[in-house]
Amino acid sequence: MADEKRTLSLMDRVWDFFISVKLAIFTLIILAVTSILGTIVEQNQPPEKYHKIYEDWAFALMDRINLFDMYHSMWFLFILVLFTVNLSCCTIDRFPKMLKIVRNPRTKLDGNLEKSLSLSDRWKRKGSLTEWAGKYAEALSASFAKPIVTEDGGEVHLYAETGVASRFGVYVTHLSIIIIFIGAIAGNVLGFKGYVNIPEGESVAQVPVRGGLRMQDLGFTVRCNAFSLETYPSGQPKAYKSDLSVIDGGREVARKTIVVNDPLQYKGIWFYQSSYGQAGGATAKVAVSRKDGTPMGALALAANESVPVDGYGVVRGVNYDQNFQGNGPALQVVVEKPGKPAATFWLFQASPNLDRQRADSLFFSFGGLSSKFFTGLQVAKDPGVNIVWLGCALMVIGLIMAFFLSHQRVWVRLAQGADGRVEVVLAGSAGRNRLAFEKRFEKLQIGVKATGQ
Amino acid sequence: MSNVILFNLTTVLFGVASALYLGALYAKNEKIAGVGTWVCILAAVVSTAALGVRWYESYQMGIGRIPVTNLYESLVFFAWSVNLFYLIVERKYRNRTFGAFVMPIAFFTMVFAVYNDSSIQPLVPALQSYWLHAHVITCFVGYAAFAVSAGVALMYLLKARQEEAKISEGVVGLLPSCKMLDDLVYRAIIWGFPFLTAGIITGAAWANYAWGTYWSWDPKETWSLIVWLVYAAFLHARITRGWYGRRAAILSIVGFVATIMCYLGVNLVLSGLHSYGGG
Ligand code: HEM
Repeated sequence: MADEKRTLSLMDRVWDFFISVKLAIFTLIILAVTSILGTIVEQNQPPEKYHKIYEDWAFALMDRINLFDMYHSMWFLFILVLFTVNLSCCTIDRFPKMLKIVRNPRTKLDGNLEKSLSLSDRWKRKGSLTEWAGKYAEALSASFAKPIVTEDGGEVHLYAETGVASRFGVYVTHLSIIIIFIGAIAGNVLGFKGYVNIPEGESVAQVPVRGGLRMQDLGFTVRCNAFSLETYPSGQPKAYKSDLSVIDGGREVARKTIVVNDPLQYKGIWFYQSSYGQAGGATAKVAVSRKDGTPMGALALAANESVPVDGYGVVRGVNYDQNFQGNGPALQVVVEKPGKPAATFWLFQASPNLDRQRADSLFFSFGGLSSKFFTGLQVAKDPGVNIVWLGCALMVIGLIMAFFLSHQRVWVRLAQGADGRVEVVLAGSAGRNRLAFEKRFEKLQIGVKATGQ
Repeated sequence: MSNVILFNLTTVLFGVASALYLGALYAKNEKIAGVGTWVCILAAVVSTAALGVRWYESYQMGIGRIPVTNLYESLVFFAWSVNLFYLIVERKYRNRTFGAFVMPIAFFTMVFAVYNDSSIQPLVPALQSYWLHAHVITCFVGYAAFAVSAGVALMYLLKARQEEAKISEGVVGLLPSCKMLDDLVYRAIIWGFPFLTAGIITGAAWANYAWGTYWSWDPKETWSLIVWLVYAAFLHARITRGWYGRRAAILSIVGFVATIMCYLGVNLVLSGLHSYGGG
């Protein structure tokens, strides 16, 4: 018997610990203070970088307590769990009580309640109790809220309230935090985040995730058709654009040009424009024509790479000049034919027919340099994200309910006085923003008092 | 740039208003403070016009964008919000002594802004988003509310010391009652907290839309969370542990220091993804 009592009280103490707001304030402050650490110590940098900054012993110590990735460490997670348990227990403890109070409001203005209310007024009226009760009920309905009427031992009580929702604001806010956590966990468990570079014209069906530790199948293919870069007149970057196609089941099912802040989404997987770069070196476009001008095709010459031309020889681009001898962009090529000495000459982009003068079986026209880009895409699937947004919306709604609504209550008590007149008491209280309620009460007081006069 | 001229004029007006409010306290002359109010209203008009002109000028330059995208513009917008917030408080509480403690915050913010690059720069691709508007505006309205709260908290600390010593003379005698100050410290935070919350959320939404992660623990994000946690602690300490008066005032000032760290310190002291200042 005694034993049971002791265990119970231990349970009670544990429960009291977890429902206490003291613990909440403590965890909030601990979270704030520890979070500062992670902003002072740069997170997730390569070890070499840390070795440069910190002494060996300090590095070892900091590494041991996971200070280089502290927001994912066990101890930080522990604080978050403690915080969540605290919040949940507190809600479980208080919510039913609050609900009970809201469901069963004190509809009767008894002496004790009257004493506890700072706003009240009393007056007397000639006439019948029920008649006045009816008039005041109407007045309250018109200017405040429809009252609940209770008759009790020769007295009539009117009770009206507005803004009950404000009582729920705190719970909506607290619940929203838990919903956000659930969304975050769902995203971490069920989703992935990766990063991939796709050169123009190429496709990927897999992306590396977890820093390249694992390849994630997309279940479809993404092709980068083209990448382009727009600049402001001043030369600053204005937009990075990737023309992407989604190929699923052998067909192109979606195509979109994405820019930063405007991603592509397919089957819950999002592709974000993240970076870009040059894929390999630049290539020179060179058109080949017969002596009579019939086009033969085009060559893409990478720097110093020999490209064979059937029945002719080998062409190699060796030099590029943006403004060769003042004649604009030019490409220097070397042509090697079997059994003949190599010929070296320049092709000018501005004069595509100039090479005819070389009096060869073929002539070349330089069509400009084209550099091939790759686009760098952030790839993410996060099935929890909508849960997170739901939580965020609820949080804002909850805060507005908690802070800007006020649970206002008004009572009227009518009793038959000894002198035959009806004794009336009007009283009110507000959960929040009492100053504003005082003004409202004053108006109500004047209005109700004047009723039926 | 005509917008910069208007902003410089705003700076002067904020300085004049601060001086008038302080002078009114010192001379115990309500009339001087009354002039201060008109100067504040004028400053509100001028600075609003300046923001509009700057917005318009950015369009004329062919790079039209909202004027809240770099350190200069954010400082100016912050000062603008503080001034407006202050005018509302003054009207609602019918007391002009707050001005001596709040308007200098707006003034020094503008002075700091003047020392920063005021040219209109085009937006880099990462900043071209409608979320930017919602994010910056909500954050800075929140910051402005916290600034007002901290200014009033300072008044509270001065007043409380005097009330303890039971003297009601001197400059401090003119300040509103401790009860009213305490209430206002709290009330300003009640406005600031939902705005900061909305600011963090819109920031997260933006980050998610720009690179697929709504939270990446970068220093700016983390500091905004720290500020949020401090004010959450304030709210809970107040309702449930009865932290009124002195301790609440100190917590409000701590919160504002964290706010400044979040706003400026992160960029000037720490590194991060954000674009304001420092780089
Ligand atoms: C950062 C997380 C939290 C936020 C944003 C938050 C938000 C709020 C807000 C806005 C209020 C209303 C304050 C007011 O009326 O002035 C409140 C009240 C309260 N909170 Fe929290 N809260 C958080 C965490 C917690 C935790 C962990 C607990 C755990 C015990 C808790 C317990 C309470 C209690 C007991 C109240 C008072 C409810 C009442 O007035 O009946 N809160 N909270």
